[in-house]
Amino acid sequence: MKQPDIVIADHLVKRYGSRLALRGVSFSIAEGEIIGLLGPNGSGKSTILRILTGYLPPSGGAIRVGGHDAWEHPLEIRRYVGYVPEDAPLYDVMRVGEFLRFMAEIKGVPADGISAAVASVCSKLDLWGVVKVTIGKLSRGYRQRVALAQALLNNPPLLVLDEPTNALDAYQVIGVRELIRGLAGKQTVIVASHVLTEIERLATRVMILRDGELLTADAMAERSEVPRLRLRIAGPLDAVLAMLRETDGVIRANAAAETDQNATGPHDFVAELRHPGVTEDVVRAVVSHGFGLLGLAEEKADLERVFLDLTQRATQAAAA
Amino acid sequence: MKTFIALLKKEEMTLFTSPIAYVVMAVFLIVMGYTFTLTLFISHSPTLVHIFFQIYVLFLLIVPIITMRTIAEERRLRTLELLLTAPVTEAKVVFAKFVASMGLVVTLLLISGAYPLTLAFFGAPDWGPIYSGYVGLLLLGCTLVAIGLLTSSLVSNQVIAALLSMSLFLLLWIIDHFGWLLPDPFDAFVVNLSLLVHFTPFATGSVFLSDAGYFISMTLLGLFFCVRALARR
Repeated sequence: MKQPDIVIADHLVKRYGSRLALRGVSFSIAEGEIIGLLGPNGSGKSTILRILTGYLPPSGGAIRVGGHDAWEHPLEIRRYVGYVPEDAPLYDVMRVGEFLRFMAEIKGVPADGISAAVASVCSKLDLWGVVKVTIGKLSRGYRQRVALAQALLNNPPLLVLDEPTNALDAYQVIGVRELIRGLAGKQTVIVASHVLTEIERLATRVMILRDGELLTADAMAERSEVPRLRLRIAGPLDAVLAMLRETDGVIRANAAAETDQNATGPHDFVAELRHPGVTEDVVRAVVSHGFGLLGLAEEKADLERVFLDLTQRATQAAAA
Repeated sequence: MKTFIALLKKEEMTLFTSPIAYVVMAVFLIVMGYTFTLTLFISHSPTLVHIFFQIYVLFLLIVPIITMRTIAEERRLRTLELLLTAPVTEAKVVFAKFVASMGLVVTLLLISGAYPLTLAFFGAPDWGPIYSGYVGLLLLGCTLVAIGLLTSSLVSNQVIAALLSMSLFLLLWIIDHFGWLLPDPFDAFVVNLSLLVHFTPFATGSVFLSDAGYFISMTLLGLFFCVRALARR
C-alpha cells in the first residue's frame, strides 16, 4: 500500500537575482522513503533542501511538508524536519555536549528528556569520546557526525541531509549509510549528493536534477524499463547513427557519452530496444550496411548510465 | 521562554569567549579612568557630565565592535542556516542577540559606577543628573545595539558591518548640524533625528519623555528591521 505523501512540491521556482536556480520543479515524497537527490554541483540540490526546510522562500510555486506550507508555517516545518546543511556548519566555541544540549533545547525537546536524547545520539554516532571536546578542535569526520547527531535529537519525521558523507572516511561512510538505512520505514530521509555510488546504495528512489530542472523523479524505474545494447562499430559516426535509428525496434540510439565524436576510429554507441529480440535485427543491419561490428554487449543500465543519459539528453535538447 | 534562555546563554557564551569583550572592557576602563581623573583634577567639582559625554562618544565607537559579528559571522559561517531551520522565530534569535549585547553594555556601565562612588566617597555629588545620565546611557546603548544588529544582519562581513554601524552613528551624531540649514518643517525633523540632541538633556539632569521616546522608537525600529532582514534571508 502506498504511504501518504509528506512532501509535495509544485512547480518550484527559485531565482538568485537574475540567475534561475530552480525551473518549475515538481515532485512528491511518500512517508518512509529514502530519497536520493542526485545532480552535478550547482544543479539546485541545496536550494531545494533549503526551501524544503523553510530556510529559503521559493520565488514561485509551492511546497507542502507534513501538510504545512513551508513558507507560511515555517515553525511547524522546522519541528517536522531534521536538517544537516552541507559542510556541517557548527558553533566552534562550544563543546560537543553543550552544543547538542543547546540544539535539543531550541528544538523543543522536553527538559527532562534532553539528557536521554543527547545520550541516544551520542551512542548512535559514536560521539562519547569527544563529548567534552570543543567543536573547533574536531576533525571534519567528527564534525559531520555531530551535525548528523543534532538533526536526530528530536526524532523528526523527515530528515534532510545535504552531502552527509562529505569528509568521512570509509568506515564512517559505512556507519552513516547503515544509520540512514536503519531509519527506513520509520523516518523519511532525503539525501542530496553528487556521489552516484553513495546514492545508489542508500536510496529507495533517486531524483536527478540538472541546471535547476528535475530530469527524473525515479531514476531507478528508468534504468529497468528498456533493454539496452552497447555496440562498438567501425564506420562514419553520423552514418552509423542514422542506420541504428532507422532500424525497426530501436527506440533511441546515441553515441556513448564517453566516445570521442571527432575521432576517426571506431565509436561506441548505446541503443535502447523495444524488446531483447531486436538485437538480431540490429546486428543484421550493421553487417548489411557494411560497417564493422567490433563489440556487442547487453548493457544493464546502472544509475551512472541513467544519470549520463539523462544529463546528455538534456544538454542536447538545450543545444537544439 | 526556555528556547529564548537557551539562545541567550549561547549568545553570552559566544560574546564572552571571544577576546573582543575583554578588549572592549580594557579600552573602556583605560580611556574612562584617564578622563575621570583628568576632569576631576581640572574641575574640582563632583559632577559626571563630562564623563557621560565621554561614554557617549566611546559607545559610538565600541558598540559596532560588540555587534559586528552577531549576525554577520553566523551568516558567513552558515550557522544561521542551522539556527533558522530549528523551530525558533527570527524575533527570538534577534532579541537574544540584543539582550546578550546589552549585557556587555550594562557591564561597562556597571564598571563606570566606580566613578560616582568615588565622588560620593570624597564629596557630595548631586545624584539627580547622575541617575538621569545613566538612564540616558542605557537608552543610548539600546539604540546603538539595535542599529548595530541591523547592519550586522545586512552583510556577511563583520568589518563592513562595523564600518556601516560607525558611519550611521556618526551621521546620527552630527545630523542636527545639517538640520539647521534646512527650511521648516524639515529642519525640526532632521534635528530630532540627532542622538546628541536627545542625549544631552539626560546627561545634564533633565528627563523628557520625548527623548526617551526617541531612543525607544529607534531601538524598536532597528530590531524590527533586523528581524525583517533575517526573515528575508
